Amino acid sequence: MKTRIEKVIFGLLLMIATMQTVSADDKIDRTQRPTGKPAPKIHLPEIQKATLKNGLMVWLVEDHELPTVAFNLVMNAGADHDPLAQPGLASITADMMDEGTKARSALQISEELDAVGASLGTSSNLDGSYVTLNTLSKYLPKSLDVFADVVAHPTFPDKEFQRIRKQRLATLLQQKDQPPAIATNAYYYLLYGSNHPYGNNPSGSEASLNVMATSDLVAFYQKYLRPNNAILIVVGDTKLAEITSRLESALADWQPGDVASLTVPPPPVQDKMHVYLIDKPGAPQSEVRIGYPSLPRSTPDFFPVTVMNRILGGQFSSRINMNLRERHGYTYGAGTSFRFLKGIGPFTASGGIVTEKTDSSLIEFMHEINTMWEKGMSSEELSFAKKGLLGNFALAFETPAQIAGALQNVILYGLPENYFNTYLQNIDAVSLDDVQRVAKKYLDASKMAVVVVGDLARIKEGVAALKLGDIVLCDIDGHPIP
Amino acid sequence: MYHMSKFLPFILVMVNSMSFTQTNVSFDQYRLDNGLTVIVHEDHSAPVAAVVAMYHVGSKNEKVKRTGFAHLFEHVMFKGSEHVADGEHFKLLQEIGANINGFTTEDGTTYFEVVPSNYVELALYLESDRMGFLLPAVTQEKLDNQRDVVKNERRQRVDNVPYGTADERIAKALFPETHPYNWPVIGYMEDLSAASLSDVHDFLKTYYAPNNACLVVAGDFNPSEVKSWIEKYFGSIPRGKDFERPAQVPLSLNGSKQIVLEDKVQLPRLFLTWHTAPNYSREHAVMSVLANILTRGKNSRLYKPLVYENQIAQSISAAQEGLEIAGYFQIDVTAKPGRNLTEMQTVIDSVLQYLLKNGVTAAEVEKALTAAEVSSVNGLSTVLGKATNLAFYYSYTGDPTWINRQMKLYEGITPDEVLAAARKYLMQPSVSLSVVPVGKPELAAKKGE
Repeated sequence: MKTRIEKVIFGLLLMIATMQTVSADDKIDRTQRPTGKPAPKIHLPEIQKATLKNGLMVWLVEDHELPTVAFNLVMNAGADHDPLAQPGLASITADMMDEGTKARSALQISEELDAVGASLGTSSNLDGSYVTLNTLSKYLPKSLDVFADVVAHPTFPDKEFQRIRKQRLATLLQQKDQPPAIATNAYYYLLYGSNHPYGNNPSGSEASLNVMATSDLVAFYQKYLRPNNAILIVVGDTKLAEITSRLESALADWQPGDVASLTVPPPPVQDKMHVYLIDKPGAPQSEVRIGYPSLPRSTPDFFPVTVMNRILGGQFSSRINMNLRERHGYTYGAGTSFRFLKGIGPFTASGGIVTEKTDSSLIEFMHEINTMWEKGMSSEELSFAKKGLLGNFALAFETPAQIAGALQNVILYGLPENYFNTYLQNIDAVSLDDVQRVAKKYLDASKMAVVVVGDLARIKEGVAALKLGDIVLCDIDGHPIP
Repeated sequence: MYHMSKFLPFILVMVNSMSFTQTNVSFDQYRLDNGLTVIVHEDHSAPVAAVVAMYHVGSKNEKVKRTGFAHLFEHVMFKGSEHVADGEHFKLLQEIGANINGFTTEDGTTYFEVVPSNYVELALYLESDRMGFLLPAVTQEKLDNQRDVVKNERRQRVDNVPYGTADERIAKALFPETHPYNWPVIGYMEDLSAASLSDVHDFLKTYYAPNNACLVVAGDFNPSEVKSWIEKYFGSIPRGKDFERPAQVPLSLNGSKQIVLEDKVQLPRLFLTWHTAPNYSREHAVMSVLANILTRGKNSRLYKPLVYENQIAQSISAAQEGLEIAGYFQIDVTAKPGRNLTEMQTVIDSVLQYLLKNGVTAAEVEKALTAAEVSSVNGLSTVLGKATNLAFYYSYTGDPTWINRQMKLYEGITPDEVLAAARKYLMQPSVSLSVVPVGKPELAAKKGE
């Protein structure tokens, strides 16, 4: 089969409206605010596509502004594919890909990349595993050769695995020093439980790491990290023919296989609010997480939820930040997010709160969530949120990294090819009723969990007095203390 | 007002694979009558523009007992001005989807807005209003509120973070009490409590005048229109008085200092710090090359024995930190569980002694230069990156054309030069800070072992 090249033009040049003429008077009235000129044209990335003989799709966006090229191999298997008894497997497998190949040792891989100033990264998250490369285009042949070798011929040597495992165990230990990490890990465990892939620390646990062997990594790689389960994004100063001809031979040994498709199971349902407290004696701040599993990236409510969250806690001038930071001075920053994943990700309100205001801040968090749930937003807020998202979109395709990130989402979540072309219309179409409907549906505080990591000697009494729900004391991993 | 290759678009030219990538960021630089320096760079590659207002004032302009003021003032700058109500600054910019922030360092305070390119005028208006009309809007209430926010920022970034107070402990030991790098940018809690409204007034009048600032606008717009807006909104702001800047003074330690800090950490960490040269100097570049040779990549001099081979360290890094009037070189290493910092110290000492005797290789220098080249190119990938670079080069060197010769200080660095600089600085007394878990002082690095 010959390398197939198609060219898809994400072509529509989009316009954001609002017109205003400007006069450069030398008499200046500062009460008159400049309002903006006609909206600029947004050039959406133009994607060229090819498929290699082994089935790997290559998406290239040419960008010749800087003499650099960014690669991101997106493989559709992340920590969501970890066996329940082996959390951390996807993450360690990714970590080990650049620790030795048939032709190169770990030290040689590092040496060859350093010699050309290239950076290679191997990683995973809940949704996928990734191999990235950033290189000057003048060094592309050398660095791409190492990249392809790491993808096609990793050997997962046991000597390097023992080192990586030791390092990972120490990293888990270090997380016990970090209240934000403690809070987030405990929060996911308490929301999803150990029978759900999102309930486990994607970095693994002491128990899982101690029983893992390189044969597990090889099996994960062979089962899921296949060219027919991946797409390679390339953005920068190169041409499709150059990339495909180099990769066709360099990746020839990377062969497709039968990749079983997995579906992320639904999360457990919470019946009522629980308040989970984790002690961090002497902590000057309490790390707060409030929320529950809400919805997946594939939801038809993506746009209304995005608009709604922007007002609730999705930006600096959101209700929650203005309340907790600017009005009350309880925090350096508080906000809310919907984490859109392949499976059902959580809605989360969070912030680091000065210890003595922990209970007061919970009142304000709940007040803002409940107010949005009950009343939705005003038409001024709706228009404010929509305009902001439209403006954000104009800033979204400036750099190769931004473009690669946008395409990664298209790949991971199977977004339609015209997703960016229709983005502005979709935001613009969100109505007040839509916002009210999704607020009612996804902000039901009565079923949320509250996780607080802080100095319990100083905060427990105040938090309990709020009577938000049953108080459950947990250890540092979020496991309830009997 | 002078022009630099005005009609050249932003382009990059590669000369050949042996020399560094040449950049050509073209811009206009001129000065308003009130002393405000303006730099305008056109780039039509995306419908985006960055506005950067940089004031040449940071924590080094503060006085003892008033630490943290430059940064607290940065917060106040977001709370509205005479024609912009409290909360409106953020609101107006977030309504158009702008990316906005500010940051304060020892030497400078920088504010930026990245906006869809049709809103440059709004960003200029807002920057001008807070440059020229801030005082009537500053109230005790706003000051108190932002004081609380900054105290929370300190808790979030310093006090509730493992090893978070290490930097200020080191600065205190490295610089004399009267030297302005002695205290942390975020300030001490008790000094933040003492800041008064009249401090705000004095600070603004002295340091936030147009003649102590530069305004950089980069991106997709018509430059003559942008210049007319700049004249319109900034032209009438009065010039401020000149003031004295802290000067570079010779710095050295009388003898090495060893400090032990018990903190809520699981793994002990050792910080070793030496006085070196300030930023924008040849020696800063040379010491950056050395830092790279010591800890970048698995094959580097310190990473390989400590982290890769013997696996007694969890992580290690080295950096040359160049500030405006001083610089320092720092190595920090985190021990693996069950290891102590004397073991780290022993390996570092032997690696450094060997290096100070035998020098570094040409291949090592070349790798480090390539890494510096890559980072200089990547710094130009956004209009904000270019605008910030121009503002920094102007403020700290007086010469924004540095943006097109970022590698100049690195050209021709030889192994001998690296060795000479290493000998000059790393054989001097140092500050050694051991951060150990509470109750385990025995894990600290012990002298002479």
